[in-house]
Amino acid sequence: MKLFLRDQWPFAAFFLVQLILLIMIFAMDGYWNESLMIYVMFLSVFFAGAFLAIRYLSHRTIYQRLSKPVETLEELTQTYGNSPLCRAMDDISQEQYRLYKEQLHAYENKQRDHTTFIQQWVHQMKTPISVIHLLLQNEDDPTAESVREEVDRIKRGLETVLYIARLDRFEQDFLIEPVTLRSLVQNVLAENKRLFIRNQVYPEVKVDDNWRVESDDKWLAFVLNQLLTNAVRYSAGKSNKVTIRAYERGAHAILEVQDYGIGIPAEDIRRVFKPYFTGENGRKYPESTGMGLYLVKEICGRLHHGVEMESEVGEGTTVRIVLSAVVPTLQESKIAES
Amino acid sequence: MSIIMIVEDDPKINQLLQEQLEKYGFQTVNVEHFDRVMEVFTQSRPDLVLLDVNLPKFDGFYWCRQMRQESNCPILFISARESKMDQVMALENGADDYITKPFDYDVVLAKIRSQLRRAYGQYAPQEGERTVEVAGLKLFLERMELSMYDTKIELSKKEALLLEALMNQHPRVVSRERLLEKLWDEQFVDENTLNVYITRVRGKLKDLGLEGAVETVRGSGYRLRATWEEEQ
Repeated sequence: MKLFLRDQWPFAAFFLVQLILLIMIFAMDGYWNESLMIYVMFLSVFFAGAFLAIRYLSHRTIYQRLSKPVETLEELTQTYGNSPLCRAMDDISQEQYRLYKEQLHAYENKQRDHTTFIQQWVHQMKTPISVIHLLLQNEDDPTAESVREEVDRIKRGLETVLYIARLDRFEQDFLIEPVTLRSLVQNVLAENKRLFIRNQVYPEVKVDDNWRVESDDKWLAFVLNQLLTNAVRYSAGKSNKVTIRAYERGAHAILEVQDYGIGIPAEDIRRVFKPYFTGENGRKYPESTGMGLYLVKEICGRLHHGVEMESEVGEGTTVRIVLSAVVPTLQESKIAES
Repeated sequence: MSIIMIVEDDPKINQLLQEQLEKYGFQTVNVEHFDRVMEVFTQSRPDLVLLDVNLPKFDGFYWCRQMRQESNCPILFISARESKMDQVMALENGADDYITKPFDYDVVLAKIRSQLRRAYGQYAPQEGERTVEVAGLKLFLERMELSMYDTKIELSKKEALLLEALMNQHPRVVSRERLLEKLWDEQFVDENTLNVYITRVRGKLKDLGLEGAVETVRGSGYRLRATWEEEQ
């Protein structure tokens, strides 16, 4: 309504000026009939008012929509009404919407092609890595050891790329089911054994045998992998222990990775989950990409797990994953049923 | 002797697998023309198949279905694809297990053995038992026994693993890292535990009358020396 008034006031002003001008001309000509003049003025104003009212009613949707911001794309496709102006508005907004959709689709396709390409490429790279891996397995001299180390790094890098690419299609690529924490932890540790040994850091596992949580084991394993890699990297040379423990907190199960390494400066803690943020530690350790913890946060978010972090410089870092619920073991659930 | 068929289009992986399997007493068959997988399969009647997923022409799932129409032999998938979907697909198409690349020889061998045991049981053609020998000292990996001339001695699993590594590398040095890595399976092993195992292995060797056979090389690791031969 406000917009309509602002839009139409020049017309109203023009109309009034014209009306007064007309009456003035008649009056100067010597013709003055007061009641007739008032009657004419009343009629004119009445019709002008009616005109504006009809105008407003037929274009109400346009004014309403123009005066409040668009919230969803679908609003653009709603029709305005039947007057020529409304139909023109309809046409243009439909056209706009179509163009926009078209471009969006083009980019979506491009993005999908790109993701597919990255995934294929990573898989292609895995073949040469497998070959190197096999070739090295029966070698045991310092050169082989050092090549193995580099192969591990490449593998780690490829893995991260693969998971970042997959993140876009997360909804089609995860399956929530009971995951046994103990075996998950053990598998991830076994995968990383060279990393631990090389850095002379040893894991301490305090996870009950039959603890199960609702999660996706592949993604959760990736998360744990990232946390352990960080923990080992920032412990090397300072402490030789990393603790992985699971415990209950209310209705939640907590999976915790604690290291006693260099810790994270307080001003960095809030930002470590941001993509590409490497902070002070990243400058000291050239391998940081700043993606690890960002991915951890992203993945946990999508799995509906919480992430908490505590750290003190020089004391170490603790990262906790808050898992939705502890699944009772099979026997327990059977007892509950009977 | 069991026949293992390898269907893998990367020539190097193919060759490495072949060499490794032959080293452990398996006979291998491989495929050169990937439109004739079934012909090779029917002709060679393998006891077990190692099958890649990404192959020219048809994928591994297709071949797996084809093979299943003719035989019940164990089929193991070897693939770089690790998504859950692929694993499910493999099993649904009739595979028995799924190994993701890059893999360790140990894992492949262990899975092959377990599949063969399951499929053909105790009556299965006995594989040549895995043994390592250094100058008369013989290690039987399956039975976890160590023998010298006529004396035999039992080993624990970790001791056997340690000796295997040392004997395989003989006369070269095996780094501490490598030994730790070998010993680390279910439970991780730290430096101190490794020292304990080394002491035990030395004790066992001593029981066989072999002294000073495991030599410490400062700063790098351990080495097996055939001291008993040098004396003679």
